[in-house]
Amino acid sequence: MSAFQDIERADSGHAAFAERVRDPIAFDEPHGFHFSAKDNLCAIGFQARAGSRILEGYRPPFDAAPVERLRRAGGLLVGKTNMDEFGFGSFSTTSAFGVPRNPFDRERCCGGSSGGAAAAACLIPGHLALGVSTGGSISCPAAFCGVYGLTPTYGRVSRYGLIDYGTSLDKVGILSREAGDLRTYLPVISGPDERDPTSLAQPELDMSGSVSSVAVPRGALSVSDDVKRAFASALESLRSSGVEVAEVDMPSLRFAVPAYYVLATSEASTNLARYCGMRFGVMNDRFDQSFNTFFSQVRSSQFGDEAKRRVLLGTFSRMVGFRDKYYMKALQARQLIIREYESVFQDFDAVLTPTMPFLPPRFDEISKMRPLESYQADFLTVPPNLSGLPHLSMPCGYSGGLPIGMQAVAPHWREGRLVSMAEAWSSRFQLKLPEASS
Amino acid sequence: MDESTVARVAKVSRLDLTEDELRRYSADLQEILEAFAVLDEAPGADGLGLDPVPVEDQLRDDVPRPWGDASVLRDLMRAQDDGRVRGPRVQ
Repeated sequence: MSAFQDIERADSGHAAFAERVRDPIAFDEPHGFHFSAKDNLCAIGFQARAGSRILEGYRPPFDAAPVERLRRAGGLLVGKTNMDEFGFGSFSTTSAFGVPRNPFDRERCCGGSSGGAAAAACLIPGHLALGVSTGGSISCPAAFCGVYGLTPTYGRVSRYGLIDYGTSLDKVGILSREAGDLRTYLPVISGPDERDPTSLAQPELDMSGSVSSVAVPRGALSVSDDVKRAFASALESLRSSGVEVAEVDMPSLRFAVPAYYVLATSEASTNLARYCGMRFGVMNDRFDQSFNTFFSQVRSSQFGDEAKRRVLLGTFSRMVGFRDKYYMKALQARQLIIREYESVFQDFDAVLTPTMPFLPPRFDEISKMRPLESYQADFLTVPPNLSGLPHLSMPCGYSGGLPIGMQAVAPHWREGRLVSMAEAWSSRFQLKLPEASS
Repeated sequence: MDESTVARVAKVSRLDLTEDELRRYSADLQEILEAFAVLDEAPGADGLGLDPVPVEDQLRDDVPRPWGDASVLRDLMRAQDDGRVRGPRVQ
C-alpha cells in the first residue's frame, strides 16, 4: 500500500485528519519523510481551525516553527490532524470536524486532545505526527493508540504559530510508531527561536543519558485491573533488564488536577478572548450592533459546549474575590509539585506510572461521563504537564486487543534520558499494530 | 456556583447562554469547584512563578525588517484589487 493510500485510509476509516493533501502525485516525488501537524499548528496551504467552528476558513500565511523546521529538513506535510476543540478534552470528541476513531476499535476513542495525530502515527507506516500537549494531550492518545508520544520540556520547542490553549502549559511534541524517530526528529524541532521568548531559556539539547532507576508513586496505581496488570508486567520486564524500581510517596500530586484545570482554564479564557468574529475565521457581517452584542453572538454560536464550560470556569477563577482561592493557590500548588518531583529525582532517574487509568473508552461510555469525571481521568498525565517536565508515553501491554501505555517523567531538559529509555524498551517490547494496518 | 453567578461570569466572558446551558453549566461548575476545594489543603509554596521553568524576558532591537512572504498573505485576502487589499465599506 502506498503512503497516500495509508493516509486516505486513516482519514476515511478513522477521521484522523481535519484536512489533508488530496493529490497522490505529491508522493511521486522522492521526499525525505512525511509528517502531519495537529490542527492547532499553523501551516501554509492548510486551514488552522484547532477543532473549532469559530476558526472555519482561517488560512494562516505562515508556518508554525516546528512545521517550518520539519519542512526545511525535507519533510512533506500531508495534513492537519483532528483534535478536541482548542485541545479541550481527553477523548477528541469535542472537535467540530468529526471524531477520530481508535485504530484498534472504531467504537472507541483515540484519546485526546491530539487524537488524530495518534491515529495517524499508528495507521500510517513511517509517519511522524506533531502533537501538542497542555495537560496530557500527547501521552493520553499515544497510550490509547499504542504508539510512542514524547512531550518535551516546556520551552524546548518554539510555539511560534501555535494556537494557544494554556500559555504556561502548551508544549509541542512528537508521536510515532518508531521509538527511533524521537532521536531523529526531536533535535530538528527543538532549539531557541526569538519569536517565542519561552524557548530562549533552554539549555542545549543533550540526547545522552539513560534510565536505570524509576520511582512509582503509590497513588498512581488507582487504575483499572487490566492497566494494573500490564503495568506490573512492564515493571517486571524493566527489573529483569537491570532497572531499579521502587515505590515512593508523592502526596502533592493530589493537588495536580485542580491546580491544572484552574490554571489551564484561566489562561484559556484569556487566550480565547481574541475570537470575537473580527480577526480570524468566522466573521459576523452585522456591523449595525454594539461591539459587545456582536462579539457575544459570534462566540455563543461558534464555540462548542466544552469551550464555553472552560471559558466560564477560567473567567470565574480569575475574578476578584475568587482569584486568591483558586488562581493564586493553583500557582502555589504547581511550585509545590515541581519541588516534589525534584526531590524524587535526587534518587531516581525517572518517575514511572501508567499513562491512563483505563483502556480507551467507547463513545457511549464517554457520552455518559460528567465533565468532572473526564477531568479526573487525567490524574496521571496532568502532573508532569503542570510542572513543565518532559515525559514519554510508551506502549507497555494489550488487553482485549486494546493498547495500554506507561508514562516516564524526567527532570527539566533531560529529554535524552527518555529517548534512550524508549529505544531500550522498544528493543524488548513487541509492538502490535491494528489488524487492518501493515 | 448558582445560576446567577454563571450568568454574571457569562456576561463578562461575552457568552449568551440559553436557559438549558445556564442550568447545565451551573450544575457542572458547582460539582467541579466542590472537588477543587482540595486546593485549600495545599500548603503554601515559595514563589508564584507564572512559568514552570524560569523564563527571562529577552528583548531584541526594534529594527524593521520584511515579514514572511507578502504574496502568500495577499493571496489569502478575501478581497483584493491589483495587488492591493480592499477593505470593507464603512457603513
